[in-house]
Amino acid sequence: MFVNPRFRTLSLALATALLITACGTQPQPQPSAPTPQPPTTQPTAPSAEQSMPSATTEPQPASGSEVEFVTWYQYDQDNTDPKSDERVGNEYLRKTIPLFNEAFKGKWKWINQPQPFDQMAIRLTAAVQAGGEVPDLMQSGDGSLIPFIKNGVVQDLTDWIKAQPWFADLDPSAVAACTGPDGRIYCVPVAITPQIVFVWRDHFPNGYPKTPEEFKQQAEALKAKGIAAITFFGSTAFDGEGTPRFTNTLIKSFGGTFDDGQGNMKLDTPENRSAIEFLREIVAAGYVHPRTWDGTTTPFIEEEPMKTAEAASFPTGIFGYRYVNPLKAPSGKEYNKGNEEDMLDAITAGDVFIAPMFAPSGKKPGCGLGVTGFVIPVGAKNPEAAKDYINWIMTPEQNPDWVLGPGGGFPALRSILPLIEERVPVAKAFYEQAAKAVAASECRPWYGSLERRDEAKKIIQNTIYRLVKEDPTADISEALKAAEEEYNRNN
Amino acid sequence: MSTRSLKTQAITSHVRERILRRGFFSHTLAFWLLLPSLLVIGLIQFYPGIYSILLSMQDRRAGRVEWVGLSNFERILGSGAFRESVGHTVVFLAGYVAVTMLLALLLALLLNRNLRAGGFYLTLLFIPWVLADIIVGLIFGLLVVPEYGLLSPILSNPALFPPKGINIPSDPAPRPWIAGFPFPPAPAMVYLILASSWRALPFITLLMLAALKTVPSEIIESARIDGASSFQTLRLITLPLILPTLVVALFNLLLGGVNGIGLVFTLTRGGPGTATEVLSYLLYVVGFQRLEFGRAAAIAVIMAVFNLLLIVLTLRISRGGERAA
Repeated sequence: MFVNPRFRTLSLALATALLITACGTQPQPQPSAPTPQPPTTQPTAPSAEQSMPSATTEPQPASGSEVEFVTWYQYDQDNTDPKSDERVGNEYLRKTIPLFNEAFKGKWKWINQPQPFDQMAIRLTAAVQAGGEVPDLMQSGDGSLIPFIKNGVVQDLTDWIKAQPWFADLDPSAVAACTGPDGRIYCVPVAITPQIVFVWRDHFPNGYPKTPEEFKQQAEALKAKGIAAITFFGSTAFDGEGTPRFTNTLIKSFGGTFDDGQGNMKLDTPENRSAIEFLREIVAAGYVHPRTWDGTTTPFIEEEPMKTAEAASFPTGIFGYRYVNPLKAPSGKEYNKGNEEDMLDAITAGDVFIAPMFAPSGKKPGCGLGVTGFVIPVGAKNPEAAKDYINWIMTPEQNPDWVLGPGGGFPALRSILPLIEERVPVAKAFYEQAAKAVAASECRPWYGSLERRDEAKKIIQNTIYRLVKEDPTADISEALKAAEEEYNRNN
Repeated sequence: MSTRSLKTQAITSHVRERILRRGFFSHTLAFWLLLPSLLVIGLIQFYPGIYSILLSMQDRRAGRVEWVGLSNFERILGSGAFRESVGHTVVFLAGYVAVTMLLALLLALLLNRNLRAGGFYLTLLFIPWVLADIIVGLIFGLLVVPEYGLLSPILSNPALFPPKGINIPSDPAPRPWIAGFPFPPAPAMVYLILASSWRALPFITLLMLAALKTVPSEIIESARIDGASSFQTLRLITLPLILPTLVVALFNLLLGGVNGIGLVFTLTRGGPGTATEVLSYLLYVVGFQRLEFGRAAAIAVIMAVFNLLLIVLTLRISRGGERAA
């Protein structure tokens, strides 16, 4: 074969170029924020320099240099869309980041990298396991704690947290939620988020029903007026996110549970069957708003009927007050600031009230309990920055804002509640009513002894959805047993 | 030895060397040119493939690797969620391939008729192809939002869809005709099939149109003179002649259908319930939601075998078709 020498040379050059391109390394991404300049001032906020119990051996920031402190929140400080679902948290970060940077000028520069709420735990686990870039601190609840511990994702904070002056002020249930099976503490609780029921007073003028029978009676009257008695997270969206919400509240209110206390799924119980039969009944009777099931293509669409009072009640997490706005009361009165204050205003005005879930007589209303707070990942470059940040958030000046904004619940620090009520007077009625509802309920984490929580919540919600929505005539016991088997075979 | 003969010898040896070198290059040039591509393919295809097979026999957690043999496969094959997702995948593939092939063929036949403004139609037709799966998923999702979706008033009209209209996000599947096999599918699955077909239609139509352009008009004319009807001409002449292209289109749809996740992820996320939970989505959930990499790799290996079976089946059918033609 004749090959033109020029063609040959060109071909070889091209091949070499391709080879180099193919095997060449990716350019390193540029940091998202400008490199900090050497500082000229010392930090103004206190820094709790405690002994570090973690395995992290990363170098500490050089004295006198401003170092980037990276966090992962589900909120985005750059998203200024007033219709964003996360507008409350976004606004909080927008307001707080400059405050922190000012307080720690010359020491830390807070860089927040927003993450989708349903991806945060997975992304962190993948980043830690792959040895990739991890944040110094991540906003996290207790729901991901066991997988984090099993996968070696988060640092053991026990010694450090116990040495902090605010530790004694923490609610013991919040500390328990952050404690792993080995008795060590892996997260810092800042807010406690129980499940409660938001209720339109005009639709339930005599208070929220105490029993399922009362509920059915009043729901029938509401139906005659074209109002659905209830809306809730009934879809299978977010791989079973309905389980920790309404599904758990209902099951627990009927005295049911999801586990046998030994890490096995246990669903086929008389209490669980009663709860599902009740749910089937109220769905068939038309007491449940149809948007309840539509979250698959439009996440959180079940909140809409509550906003417009087309649904009379909405069982959800206490954090729901941040999302369910603006509001239009049955009387036509509007609460339209478009932020968390709408619900607080409606509660203060008496249009909305907070209640515990109804429960069969002799049973205590059920209530899921979670915490939100922080974890420090293994491999964090600046764990000391994370600790300075946590200490800053735990101060009486900062804590109320965090609890009302990103936290969306009761403060884990018991001394903070009066401060919030003092600072935000419209929050007083809200917290009072929520506290009463929680006190009247039996609140505990939904997962019990189940360790593979992501898998469990998907299996449970799919099963409930199938029994109630897809095949309301299917044998409940058989379906529950099949779900148990699906989970337990991997134990 | 004279200077001349030395010079001649030097030239001869230089020429020989050049010839040898040219021979070496002329024989290996193709290899050198292909090498970069081979390396890249090896790096992004074979290495991950082999690694996935190894991973499918491991349990990986927190930096610890445990060899578990075939137990990941055992668990996956015995799981109800897996069996269910195989059923959904089969239903999705059947619908997706049938709808896309049929519509693409019809459109290609129409466009092959030298329509006025045919180029314009072709450009219009091409629009879905340039959209990303995520965009298509979001658009189709917005169309059926019960509150304000453009299609919602039509779909929820009981007169058009008795007895109570259709609500794509939550309407369950009718009772299955065969126990354990999800057919008839849920409205969400039908909608997913239509969205996926809409996305794939331009490429498949263009493939078929290109093939139709290669069919000699003389043969068609001869058939018509011999009294063949349009349908007979299509079935007995056109289709056999474009069979190789149909097979390529079929491959493309089958493999894309089994492995694609973009639309499922953005449009239905496997729901409502598990109505659209196909194998690729299950793999995503197990691998990237639960971070069970070993089991996810086992699903990937099973999917690879499934892909292989589909390819073999398609080739057999097409060979049968060629023989019959």
